[in-house]
Amino acid sequence: MMLEKIIALSRKSSPWVAHFNSGGCNACDIEVMATLTPRFDVERFGIQLKGSPRHADILICTGPVTAQIRERLLRVYHQMPAPKYIVAVGSCALSGGVFHDCYNVLGGVDRVLPVDVYVPGCPPRPDAIIAGIVKVLQKMESDALELADYRQASAAGGGTTHVHLQ
Amino acid sequence: MLLEKRRLAFTGSTDPENGFDMTVINDLFKILVFPGFLFVVNLGLFLEWVDRKIYARLQNRIGPPWYQPWLDVLKLFSKEDVIPEGASSFMFTWLPVFYLAVTVTAFLCIPVGAYAAVYSFPGDLIVVLFLLTLATIILFLLGWYSGSPFGRVGAVRAVTQFLAYEVPLVAALLTQALLADSWSISLVMARTTVGFPRFVGVHLIALAVALISLQGKLLRVPFDAPEAETEIVAGPLTEYTGRRLAFIRLAERTEMAVGVGLVSDLFLPFPARLGVFGFVISTILVTFVLSVLRASVARFRIEDTTVLAWKYILPFSALGMVLAIIVRG
Ligand code: SF4
Repeated sequence: MMLEKIIALSRKSSPWVAHFNSGGCNACDIEVMATLTPRFDVERFGIQLKGSPRHADILICTGPVTAQIRERLLRVYHQMPAPKYIVAVGSCALSGGVFHDCYNVLGGVDRVLPVDVYVPGCPPRPDAIIAGIVKVLQKMESDALELADYRQASAAGGGTTHVHLQ
Repeated sequence: MLLEKRRLAFTGSTDPENGFDMTVINDLFKILVFPGFLFVVNLGLFLEWVDRKIYARLQNRIGPPWYQPWLDVLKLFSKEDVIPEGASSFMFTWLPVFYLAVTVTAFLCIPVGAYAAVYSFPGDLIVVLFLLTLATIILFLLGWYSGSPFGRVGAVRAVTQFLAYEVPLVAALLTQALLADSWSISLVMARTTVGFPRFVGVHLIALAVALISLQGKLLRVPFDAPEAETEIVAGPLTEYTGRRLAFIRLAERTEMAVGVGLVSDLFLPFPARLGVFGFVISTILVTFVLSVLRASVARFRIEDTTVLAWKYILPFSALGMVLAIIVRG
């Protein structure tokens, strides 16, 4: 249990993010970049920008999902190692925003991928993005602890359930 | 020395009257705990924190807490492990482990202050340099066998850059060896202050060359073209996840500890005078210089790195060597 707690702490304290623009107008991307500048010092939370989705824990998605980008977005998502989390940044990533009924737009990111935290705004301020990521961090920790609890419970009670079923 | 001890330990333990020989435990402790594996890995992670903290302070930020590097590695160990389709799974599995093994082995030859190295003999400087070269070759293979075009480009760049910094680095360390008249790290370390006022100029030239080429060896800004995240994702490490990435990270930190430790042993007077404490202080000092360098410049393109090394740094290192020969008389 001690080990699981440490692992949960490490997940929470070292989120590496990858950034993906699924079809936005680029203003959200500029705000995401601004979030990573020294002024906001996200390294306090251990956040680091990683180029490779293979190294990332959190995918920051900006913009609506267009028909063309869907495959690529899915591919980037599948390249990430589990456990992985998604933050949708900007009104477009939430619902499609100003692009919501364009002929080539599928809608928000959650039409394609399971989104964990939504950050509204057009574009959201860096503080809002940081707040969103910190919310994901809490979720990461509670998920890791829950999984540990579940494992412990199933290890303790697995045999009984089996007998009971018979 | 160690081999002899091993032989002794071996004959000792097969002797039924003698029972178990303590030298085995002693050797194992030296290799695995201090000054071996555990010490060097933790020193490397600590230096990473020092580096990141100084970098942050230079940018007027607060920076990460002191336990950040340990948590990063722990997190990587707890993540999913992916082997991509195009990768060679054998190489993909074993190269990271081999990388860590090579760098830790290199550290076994480096004296920690007055505390003698685990395995020291005349000429261990050459062995350390060879093992560090091997580490670069492993980095190349890491990228080459990951089956990703980014990995391959990064791998080729790593080798190109290797051609740039390796000669000046060796020449700078050779200058120190010439001044001290020995190829043994512990002897050079003990003689850093010999001929004090006369050798200072040569020392400084060699130190500057060594620091710049060490920066290249460790693939840090401005020589991080092989891992340039804005152009080729993460270079050789692009496809690595989870445990393997954790091993590579540990190996890179260890390589940093080896490089920084080598420079502080060979150039700074503190390790020989103040023992383990002096060693750690000098590694922090060297890391400080490297961090300031990292914070104050931008990335070179790979051809600029080569030009810089061959046109400007190499003449300096050659000058240092010639001066060393003249000054020693
Ligand atoms: S939410 Fe606004 S700023 Fe962001 S991508 Fe959409 S339109 Fe651009």
